[in-house]
Amino acid sequence: MKIGAMFGDVVRSLFKRPATERYPFVKKAAPKNLRGKLVWDPIKCSGCQLCIKDCPSEAIELIVLDKVNKRFVFRYHLDRCTFCDQCVQSCRFKCINLSDEEWELAALNKEPFTVYYGREEDVKFLLEAAARPDEVECKE
Amino acid sequence: MYNIPALVAILVFPSGIFLLAYGLFYEWVDRKLVARYQNRLGPRWFQPLADILKLLAKEEIVPQGVQTMLFVGLPVVGLAGALTSALYVPMFGLEPSFSFNGDLIVTLYLLSMMTLCLGLAGANTVDRFSLIGATRTLTQLFSYEAPFLLALLGPAIVTGSWQIRQINDYAHHHLWMALPQVIGFVVALVGLMGKLEMPPFDAPEAETEIVSGALTEYSGRGLALFRIGKDVELVIGLTLISSFYLGGLANPLEFIVKTLGLLVVIAGLQSLFARLRIDQTVGLWWRIGAIMALVQLLVMVGIRMVL
Amino acid sequence: MEAHESKKFVVPIGPQHPALKEPGHFEFSVDGETVTDASLRLGFVHRGIEKATEGRTWVQNLYLLERICGICSDVHGTAYSIGVEKLAGVTVPPRAQAIRTIVAELERIHSHMLWLGVAAHEGGFDTLFMFSWRDRETVMDLLESISGNRVNYSVNLLGGVKFDIDEKQAGEIRRGLDYLEERTRHYMKVVTTDETFLGRTRGVGLMSKQQAELLGAVGPTARASGVERDVRVESPYLSYGEFPVNIMLETAGDLQARFVVRINELFETYRLIREILDHMPSGELTTRMPRRIPEGETISRAEAPRGELFYFIKSNGSDKPERIKVRTPSLCNWGSVISMAVGHKLADMPMLLVGIDPCFSCNDR
Repeated sequence: MKIGAMFGDVVRSLFKRPATERYPFVKKAAPKNLRGKLVWDPIKCSGCQLCIKDCPSEAIELIVLDKVNKRFVFRYHLDRCTFCDQCVQSCRFKCINLSDEEWELAALNKEPFTVYYGREEDVKFLLEAAARPDEVECKE
Repeated sequence: MYNIPALVAILVFPSGIFLLAYGLFYEWVDRKLVARYQNRLGPRWFQPLADILKLLAKEEIVPQGVQTMLFVGLPVVGLAGALTSALYVPMFGLEPSFSFNGDLIVTLYLLSMMTLCLGLAGANTVDRFSLIGATRTLTQLFSYEAPFLLALLGPAIVTGSWQIRQINDYAHHHLWMALPQVIGFVVALVGLMGKLEMPPFDAPEAETEIVSGALTEYSGRGLALFRIGKDVELVIGLTLISSFYLGGLANPLEFIVKTLGLLVVIAGLQSLFARLRIDQTVGLWWRIGAIMALVQLLVMVGIRMVL
Repeated sequence: MEAHESKKFVVPIGPQHPALKEPGHFEFSVDGETVTDASLRLGFVHRGIEKATEGRTWVQNLYLLERICGICSDVHGTAYSIGVEKLAGVTVPPRAQAIRTIVAELERIHSHMLWLGVAAHEGGFDTLFMFSWRDRETVMDLLESISGNRVNYSVNLLGGVKFDIDEKQAGEIRRGLDYLEERTRHYMKVVTTDETFLGRTRGVGLMSKQQAELLGAVGPTARASGVERDVRVESPYLSYGEFPVNIMLETAGDLQARFVVRINELFETYRLIREILDHMPSGELTTRMPRRIPEGETISRAEAPRGELFYFIKSNGSDKPERIKVRTPSLCNWGSVISMAVGHKLADMPMLLVGIDPCFSCNDR
């Protein structure tokens, strides 16, 4: 017959620091394995598109500008991605990674949610081509 | 301070704006303390004020099938009752503004008016959650009212008067009445928790069973007024108990220290227990509470007759 | 059902109600405070997941099925992977089995602590709620450091696991488990000795052993009435063959017994994880898995924190499944709520409901 079984806890909490994390004033370091935003390295990619086949939410598109010279542009839809890590597992050349630093992804409009990865000149070429719709792209 | 003009006493100090602001301050202290007891951070100082302002700015929806005048008027009447009772207690450590023989009973009834308004408001609404909540509120009113009254009568008997000001003076010049009348003190404190529907006696307002009890259909201004009314009652209840049992309130510093001390204890009691079902509450009060208060009363009467 | 008499009225709980964390519709006919009749409607969170699996490949379905439920997401993925691997005739390396087991047991810890908090909150005991959820953060951080996400860990791959547990992480797990074990002992004391809490849980929702077997209850709800049912013991999967589990039984059959069973299961889980960490087999993490699964049908069962999870998988030889049928444990336990509700007070309803650990998302898919 006991009343107030949590008495010790309750009284001790008065003198302890609260367990609440004071985000955003204090940010804890993310663990190494964190599945954050996708990052792509264009140098290692061979264009096999296994990652695209396996993605459950069609968040990746590979735009092939020149298959022989390996000029690809990688369009990543951040708002469709579920951060499941399957693309990383499917890739045999280790060119995709899920970052553990970029995970605060909230934004006020839709613009930051379509991310283009690739060599600078390729991305510039693609975006200029998209602005001028009469230019034809290679097969996607 | 009995030469404050009546209008100022009602609108500014000790009732009115001062009491409203002070009630919000105590609500913040209570919420912060409960949070700290639960190892959390708790709200910032302006949270209760922000809540009330937000509620006042929202639309008040009057549901179908209710008596509109009652629906809109009951929160106002409840708050008015609570604010009026502040005129007779030593608010902020200063003398009560108005004082007459028997004002202890009047104050207690004014405080109960709030609970009655809550019960009526729930019964007025046609929604089933409100009906169950109103039933529970009134059941709880019937159970704790008698022991609470008896507990507050103990000091009155010792003083030999029904006037709050005289009891306050007597308590100030004698030993703290909490010591010889421990049982009465405990019953009064727990009775205050029942009156304010604080956990573990919040069955009438059980969030996980009947949404919000009698207040389910209230929104906007009505809800804001009921909430402020509860805060004001908290302040007045604490004032009464600390003035009777903790050696009277003679100056603002004593007022703040004693009432805050009681608030720390009440917040602790809030966080220690699971919610009691309504039948368990009734059983507890009518068996243990009433008997304890009666015993205390008989002891006091006996001592007075002997001495 | 002539429930429209003027004396008794019907209290609806749900689909939107603070007592329910997910939508479901209960109608209790009440006479004063006593419940005289109860009925149930489900299906508010139906998302058509089983149909959606037919249009996605086997690999993509792994992630879809994981998101049937947020609390028991890993066990869905595990049951699915086991079924598909059986169809393809592939054996998973032992280290991968061990890691899968560890993550499944860590998920059991997180689910039971979540349940403890929610049950305390339904009973009005907010302090226990806050404290148990604070301690649950330990497990969430452990899972995040292993897999990279706090919910929907996606540790399973068809053919193995994605992540390894190295020495440093094993040390972290052990330290976390030590802290949790001490706190769980404290909660056991609170739940079994605090008078106000016992007043809400003792004698509420009594279900005898025959009733439990008749109604087909599974999981801790059934084990609290003395029915010995646990998939990990009856048909061991993953590493439960080498590291067996003890069944925790209680005979009282009331809400109090359900609390005790789940907390005892927590202790058993701590012991099991430590044992697996001590004897972790070495080896690779995945094996090769074909993209087209051969034709056939299979069933796979797993012990979710709520009871027995059942998967039926049928393949027609292509890279998309023909039919996947999921039967979740919460579906079996509703009958016990409806039959126990009559005769209790209205105030006991939320606690009864939460005593079976309902998961509406799992139920409705």
